[in-house]
Amino acid sequence: MLIASIQRFCMHDGDGVRTTVFLKGCPLSCAWCHNPETQSFQPELLFHAAKCIGCGACGVCPRGVHGFAAGHTLDRGLCTRCGVCGEACPTEALELCGKEYTAEALLDIVLRDKDFYGTAGGVTLSGGEPLLSEEASLFLKLCRERGLNTAVETCGMVSERLLRGAIPYTDLFLWDVKDTDELRHQAYTGVSCKPILENLLLADSLGAKTRLRCILVKGVNTNEGHYKALAELFHRLQHCEGVEFLPYHTYGDSKAVALGQKSKARTDWIPSEDEISYGEALLRQGGVTVISRRG
Amino acid sequence: MEFFATNGKRPVRLSEATRRFAYESLHHKYGLQTKEVMGVSLDDIEGFGNLSQQEQYDRAIERIAEEAPLRICEGELLSGAATMGYAIKHFVPACYGGKPVFYAVSHLTIDFETVLKKGVSYIRKQAVSALELHRGTAREPFAASCIRCLDSLERFHKRYLHALRDIEGYEENYKCLQNVPFSPATSFREALQSLWFIFAFVRLCGNWPGIGRIDYLLGSYLEKDLADGKLTVEEARELLAHFLIKGCEWVCGGNYGSGDAQHYQNLVLGGIDPQGNEVTNRVTYLILDVLEETGISDFPTTVRISKRTEEKLLRRIAEVLRYGGGVLAVYNEDLIIDSLVGYGYPLEEARSFANDGCWEVQIPGKTYFTYTPFDALRILQEKTLGGYNTELAYPTFDALYKQYVAHLGEHITSFGEYLRGMFSDKECTVHHTYSPCTVVSLFEQGCIEKGLSYLECGPVYNLHSPHIGGLPDAVNSLYAIKKLVYDEKKVSLQQLMEILEGNWEGQEALRQYALNKYAYYGNDNDEADAIAVALVEDFADLCDKLSGTCGYLTPAGISTFGRQLEWSPHRLATPGGRKAHEILAGNFSPTPGTDKEGATAIIRSYCKPNLRRMVSGAALDVKLLPHTVEGENGICTLVALLKGFVSLGGHFMQPDIADAELLKAAQAHPEEYPTLSVRVSGWNARFVTLCKEWQDMIIGQMGGGESC
Repeated sequence: MLIASIQRFCMHDGDGVRTTVFLKGCPLSCAWCHNPETQSFQPELLFHAAKCIGCGACGVCPRGVHGFAAGHTLDRGLCTRCGVCGEACPTEALELCGKEYTAEALLDIVLRDKDFYGTAGGVTLSGGEPLLSEEASLFLKLCRERGLNTAVETCGMVSERLLRGAIPYTDLFLWDVKDTDELRHQAYTGVSCKPILENLLLADSLGAKTRLRCILVKGVNTNEGHYKALAELFHRLQHCEGVEFLPYHTYGDSKAVALGQKSKARTDWIPSEDEISYGEALLRQGGVTVISRRG
Repeated sequence: MEFFATNGKRPVRLSEATRRFAYESLHHKYGLQTKEVMGVSLDDIEGFGNLSQQEQYDRAIERIAEEAPLRICEGELLSGAATMGYAIKHFVPACYGGKPVFYAVSHLTIDFETVLKKGVSYIRKQAVSALELHRGTAREPFAASCIRCLDSLERFHKRYLHALRDIEGYEENYKCLQNVPFSPATSFREALQSLWFIFAFVRLCGNWPGIGRIDYLLGSYLEKDLADGKLTVEEARELLAHFLIKGCEWVCGGNYGSGDAQHYQNLVLGGIDPQGNEVTNRVTYLILDVLEETGISDFPTTVRISKRTEEKLLRRIAEVLRYGGGVLAVYNEDLIIDSLVGYGYPLEEARSFANDGCWEVQIPGKTYFTYTPFDALRILQEKTLGGYNTELAYPTFDALYKQYVAHLGEHITSFGEYLRGMFSDKECTVHHTYSPCTVVSLFEQGCIEKGLSYLECGPVYNLHSPHIGGLPDAVNSLYAIKKLVYDEKKVSLQQLMEILEGNWEGQEALRQYALNKYAYYGNDNDEADAIAVALVEDFADLCDKLSGTCGYLTPAGISTFGRQLEWSPHRLATPGGRKAHEILAGNFSPTPGTDKEGATAIIRSYCKPNLRRMVSGAALDVKLLPHTVEGENGICTLVALLKGFVSLGGHFMQPDIADAELLKAAQAHPEEYPTLSVRVSGWNARFVTLCKEWQDMIIGQMGGGESC
């Protein structure tokens, strides 16, 4: 499995104290992506310019990617993502994102916090799209065998085979429903929402417990039609515990910049507290269980 | 009238009058009154200067009992008060020539159990027979002083009775005080009044005792009154609230350096009693109710938790913690009982442990305690590394480590010599005469019987703990040397010494490498933590070897209590990338800025050493950001941390919900945050009463990887 990062003591990706594992690679390319470093299926070089002290340690690069003539410059075209520069960089301005782990090695890491998981907490696979990894279900199975609660955050855009493989070992799917409008979904994520919703219904019919995680992007999907459609979707599901809004934020942008991409931060997309509460209230009116961190 | 919370809005359960009493007390009403009279005057006592110290002390206590202002607050349910300003400054508030004569005593929890169950009259009987026993010996003056101080207590008590008798609305106060504290308490209210009156008198005389296991002391009285229908739960909560509110009578604002709320008024809740029965009762929960509602932080409260602790109590702890202010901490009770039994305490004694008012473990009412801190990092830098001597040669890391332990050993040996110097005989049985302290000695088992004061090894157990500070910094320094010099061979030891001597000047890349590339103590890195494991073990061995050979038991402890601030000017650059004079780790918490894996990794690193061997204690401070404890999941998170701390073998943990931004705002506008409280170490402080250096240090302890 190609892992972007492992975060311990996470409280926002499921219940209780969790260790969240972010896998690399996603079939969607959302305009608002919060974790742009997990979109690519390859390791990638992150360069945090603010941390660079110009020491030249990255000169160890065998391909001459790093130039020092006018400050630190980076020729990403030459980079083979070998990671040598990241190892040498003393300030961690350079960092290779993406490291291969076997399911067993990953298990050892997540087990370190088992004394804190209790019955509610455990492990969350996130990403990227974790289910695209062939080893994801093996890892989930190993977790289950060690008594760990398992959650998977999925965009739902996966093959039926991989989905069916994960369901028996997943206690909760945090199922991302980016939008319920097909045209907007295509426009902002690059793919149709139909297979995602079909998979959701399939998973539900197989008894999978789900929580719908819905990004809230002001002016894009903060409208009553979307909330109504979410309520309808919720009521169609037998095993959905509720809907959780994820308000858009711009914290992911520094990572996009570190990847060499242009800044995509859209402060106008950040919903206000009132807008979030309004959406939650509408859902509640529609008989939906709303999962909210606030209050 | 709202009580400050870092996070959320506090519930309302108490009556409006009680809430007002709390609000006024926290906003300095009684503290400022207390400062109006600093002490009584001894100037008119003829020939005072020629009296013996003991005689001077006894006269001072008599004067205090006769002349200290009485305070009866409007509507108070309990009476008695410590009303003179020098007591807040830790002096016996009696002046000769305008200056206080005697320093008072702190770091102890006195024997309230005897007061409640047998009454002060029992103590008097003991004192009378002790005087007979010691008559004609060198111990007679102390034995006589015991009687005189009990007379003074009686005098002070009579003044209160007299004052209360004739005012309307205080009939119950009067009735209770007719019986207690001299006779055994017969009801919950009497028990609480008895506890408060003795606490207030001992404090009036300048001392700062802890309360200890208040639910253990009071639980049976409350259950009986509830069963007999004499009292309702709501009335009991009001009474306990008055107890805690009256304990804020020394709150007076202003700038105190290390904060204004540290008079060691500990409370210890929960756990098992000497027979092994669970103590947790309605008093436990009612105290938590009051702390939750008022945010009173003047009683550092520690809950004894274990694998047996009911989920309901863990959740209550979490709920109270969530409002911030750091008013609660936890002990891992089973580990501590094991630790005490392993050290030689009888099981029943071990089970009754409380603390000295801060967090150092002791058997309440039977223990003399003090500690001597030292900086482990400085010993490493100045001795083992010779102040960064470039001619050093340690062929292996093990050789360097062994030499370091030898240097720690030298330090502990000289500490032992210092302790032996307190005695006039080789066997360390005859303690040099010490400043008189009869008032606290009355309530410490052993003193009256032996005819020796609290400060002369009168109590049953006499502890003088060496406390190692800067331990995480020493561990990190050793780990960085191991990696840079011996494992990765990035530099030779000589080169590193040169670089450190030059305070990393011109070596920014290597400094950044040392800062960023290694996972130090607090990140659950077994390799770094192994050094902590070894060091704790070796330090414990050194302390155990000394114990009992120098007149005292010398249980080991790990602390800084904020001394990282005063130590910083003497510290050199560290191999881990810190420049000279930086403020480094507090207690046994990670060095600020080095913890990158979050609270669970911190707790795991902290729990790896065998903390049973730290018989005095080893404190871990965990700061959490408000957003990590939001909602129901926030409660689950805190409960999970408590459970992990227990199952991994922690000792003492003080979680605090704090927010650097909020603290910075309070620093800029202190007038808007008079009661914002933070956990400093074993105590809390209202943040705005800390001086700027302390405030900055606490803000610096935020951050880290405690959130995701």
